[in-house]
Amino acid sequence: MTVDVTPAVREFLLAIADDKHLMGQQHAEWIGVTPFLEEDLAFCSIGQDELGHAALLYELLAGDDDAAIDSLAYDRGADDYRSCHLVELATDDWTVAFARHWLFDTADQHRWALVSQSTVSELQDVAARVEREERFHRLHADNMLDVLLADATARDRFVTAVAVLAPLTQGLFEPVAGEAEAVATGVAAGPLAAEWDAFVATIEARIGAVEWGSAPSQAQRTLRSDDWRPLMARMREVIDLDLSATW
Amino acid sequence: MHTYEIFLKKDGRDEYRHAGALDAATDDLAMVMARESYIRRAEGDRLWLVRRDHVIVADPDLIAPNADKPHRHHDGSAVAARRKAMRNEGASS
Repeated sequence: MTVDVTPAVREFLLAIADDKHLMGQQHAEWIGVTPFLEEDLAFCSIGQDELGHAALLYELLAGDDDAAIDSLAYDRGADDYRSCHLVELATDDWTVAFARHWLFDTADQHRWALVSQSTVSELQDVAARVEREERFHRLHADNMLDVLLADATARDRFVTAVAVLAPLTQGLFEPVAGEAEAVATGVAAGPLAAEWDAFVATIEARIGAVEWGSAPSQAQRTLRSDDWRPLMARMREVIDLDLSATW
Repeated sequence: MHTYEIFLKKDGRDEYRHAGALDAATDDLAMVMARESYIRRAEGDRLWLVRRDHVIVADPDLIAPNADKPHRHHDGSAVAARRKAMRNEGASS
């Protein structure tokens, strides 16, 4: 299933796909080291879902050819990725990783709602599929938050983790250059940045006022953060052993 | 924190079967964790959680006396052995 879209709309879709791809990878890297077994399985399962969502979008852009999908996911130059710095951030603090899951999936709901009635009908199908799974991601985060926020120590740690992520979270709402055309042609119902206030209201209703700080410099998502290259190196670790290998 | 026993069922085919257990802080969290841990590959389409401390457990002394009542086993092995012996006697005469 491939869609024929303009370069601007392609860039708009790539931003969603790249965020999902890197978020899935980041979650998956917690397998075996989350604080307890149940969360280990749940967090990794959620990460797999995110990778699946990325794959659906890459497939829309690259077609059914697995090699073409892989190439789109792994072989672009740093400048050609459109991920935000929030999903590129390396962390060995599970509270930060969990807070990012909550922030990302809360924002993600707004993002997919904007394309649920897209003029690209295939994107409507992907959005419906994604939402069927994302509601359980949010349920996971919300139920865990109920427990964490009821405990003073856990609450402090969680709120501190959100504060660490708050500036980068603004970068999640930064559009690519192609978003304007995507909105103008009905691929998306509106700009994601217009959802910011509603997003903040959801977050702050849960944990109180957040100092959001300054958004990172992402130049319409064309600049990668320092953590991107090591992350990509980990993702490509096996491929890079032998670039000529046939899989 | 409570321990929950997990039961799964495939609709129309099986009875509920014990799949395992998990620990969780609340019933809601237990349900989410059970979903991600036990049915993410569609191993069942119905899911029960039972808190382990809600299970009514029999005292071993209640059960033990019934372990030594072979006369309550209806597998027919005693009759089969007797008939086999009779057949063998018939063949040798």
